[in-house]
Amino acid sequence: MSAEAAKILLKAEGLSKTFGHVRALRDVSLEIHDSDILAIVGDNGAGKSTLTKILSGVHQPDSGEIELMGRPVRIANPRKARELGIATVFQNLALVDCRDVAANLFLGREPTRWRFVVDRRKMLDDARRVISRLRVSIPSATVEVGQLSGGQRQSIAIGRAASQQARIIIMDEPTAALGVKESHKVLDLIRQLKAAGAAVVVISHNMRHVFSVADRILVLRRGQLVGVRRKQETAPDEIVRMIVGADAL
Amino acid sequence: MSDVPQTSSQDYEDAENAALAPHDGEGEGFTQTARQAFVSRVLQSRNLATFVAGSALFAAFSFATPLFLSSGSLLNMMRNVSFTAIVAVGMTYLLIAGEIDLSVGSVYGFLTVVMGVLVGRLHFEPWLAMFAIILLGLFVGLINGLLVTRVGIPAFIVTLALLAAYRSLAIVVSNQLPINVDPHGSFYDLTGGYIQGVFPWLIVWLLGAVLVGGLVLSQTKFGYHVYATGGNAEAARNSGVDVRRVKTICFMIVSGLCAIVAALLIGYLHIAAPITGTGFEFRVIGAVVVGGVALRGGRGSVFGAFMGACIIGMISSGLVLLGFSQYWTDIATGALIMGVGALDILASRAGAAGLKVFSWRKAGGLQ
Repeated sequence: MSAEAAKILLKAEGLSKTFGHVRALRDVSLEIHDSDILAIVGDNGAGKSTLTKILSGVHQPDSGEIELMGRPVRIANPRKARELGIATVFQNLALVDCRDVAANLFLGREPTRWRFVVDRRKMLDDARRVISRLRVSIPSATVEVGQLSGGQRQSIAIGRAASQQARIIIMDEPTAALGVKESHKVLDLIRQLKAAGAAVVVISHNMRHVFSVADRILVLRRGQLVGVRRKQETAPDEIVRMIVGADAL
Repeated sequence: MSDVPQTSSQDYEDAENAALAPHDGEGEGFTQTARQAFVSRVLQSRNLATFVAGSALFAAFSFATPLFLSSGSLLNMMRNVSFTAIVAVGMTYLLIAGEIDLSVGSVYGFLTVVMGVLVGRLHFEPWLAMFAIILLGLFVGLINGLLVTRVGIPAFIVTLALLAAYRSLAIVVSNQLPINVDPHGSFYDLTGGYIQGVFPWLIVWLLGAVLVGGLVLSQTKFGYHVYATGGNAEAARNSGVDVRRVKTICFMIVSGLCAIVAALLIGYLHIAAPITGTGFEFRVIGAVVVGGVALRGGRGSVFGAFMGACIIGMISSGLVLLGFSQYWTDIATGALIMGVGALDILASRAGAAGLKVFSWRKAGGLQ
């Protein structure tokens, strides 16, 4: 266990969110540390997606505070989240199928010349760099994303988040739809991102993947925080007990 | 505790890591050369197909009647195409963004009548009146945009209702009578007149709209956002694109262009009639669909819409020159639009099936 104090990038306290009569999150607090992989686990309906959508700026919390590098912030929308250095890979990938790889990689942040005109050459060059760093095979930067396989599409979505030079990268179920080989690549990529200095937050319900890659594990149950454990100090058994509620086992 | 020797999870992980380490040639970045990628895109190009079909149609009409190729009838055809094509440029933006405006014909008629009143009865300077109805057109588009994106009423419903409203407004404002204007001044020369007495200014306006509209849609950040908004609005929103603003601007572009053609029509015909634009939405949306713009959004181009408008204009002009009455052209246009729609569906099904076979083969087929 490291003797250095963990550098806290983001601290959220007392986050609550209600949709209609469903209390998705109740008074949840968490910390995101520098160069640290935090896994968020929990059963269906535990509030994992809602929590990460709040951090991504897609939803606004009904109550609670968020501090980034010690300063209180309001993540008002996805653009603001990106400005604050938070990049997100959504569960449904959020790709535009009829557009090509390059357009998807830089969706919303297209490089420009003269302020309005898209710098297509730079976009293609940057796309090439991102794809080769991901170590995936893609036909070309101009192929339509809808024509790619699930694993390739997942790589594009991850590449988009990874190339934003974000301090915090959030991934919602990055391996859920992938086979063994492709999941392996994704987990490798997550480790690469950590090595490059980012903090990664991964939602997953795959215990093996969680234990393969996480430094800390945060458990949610029915919208509430059950606890946070360092991976070295816990085991899958304990985490599963926390997910379903110790009394249920 | 079981006394069967267990593989530790670390052993398992090491074995998996070794087995899954990348082999030579895997994860190699782009697998196609630039040329292969280019050829692939060209072969799949809807614009290329439209161009070939349009050229074939042009050749067919040219052979069928020598009148078709006379400069008089070609320029006449392009002049008629201009009105549809200019608004089709804006409709392209709107459809690609995933919305629609059924009221373009009525807005066109309404704005024509307003300008007719400003110039013909209130004696405004025509350029000033044009500027005024452009502002009015932009305002019409803004209302459409707000109703659709803020209130949440589907565009189909909003513009269907306004189709009736603006038509009625045109009749009320004009008192059911066409309004004549006095055609003297630079405005009439530069809209309905001819360069060197030969080349219609209308076509200059058309080419300007197609060029500017096409470049903005394909080369600017805003254009990229239009495609993203129509392709997957939620994905665009999650990536920071202001979807509501993009859609509203597209509504404003369409209605603004309706104002421009309203002014051009007055410059050309010297008269503003309340029935102007009846059936116009059929021609505009038809042109855009023939040109490859998908009704569900995300696909298409201004150049394609321009070709679509030309093809529809060709059919109209060609059939009339061949001796058919005006009414047959609408039937032919309808048949064309339906045919194009069917072809597009068949092509995308064949494409998806071909892709499946291709990927299956690439993955090793039957092994």
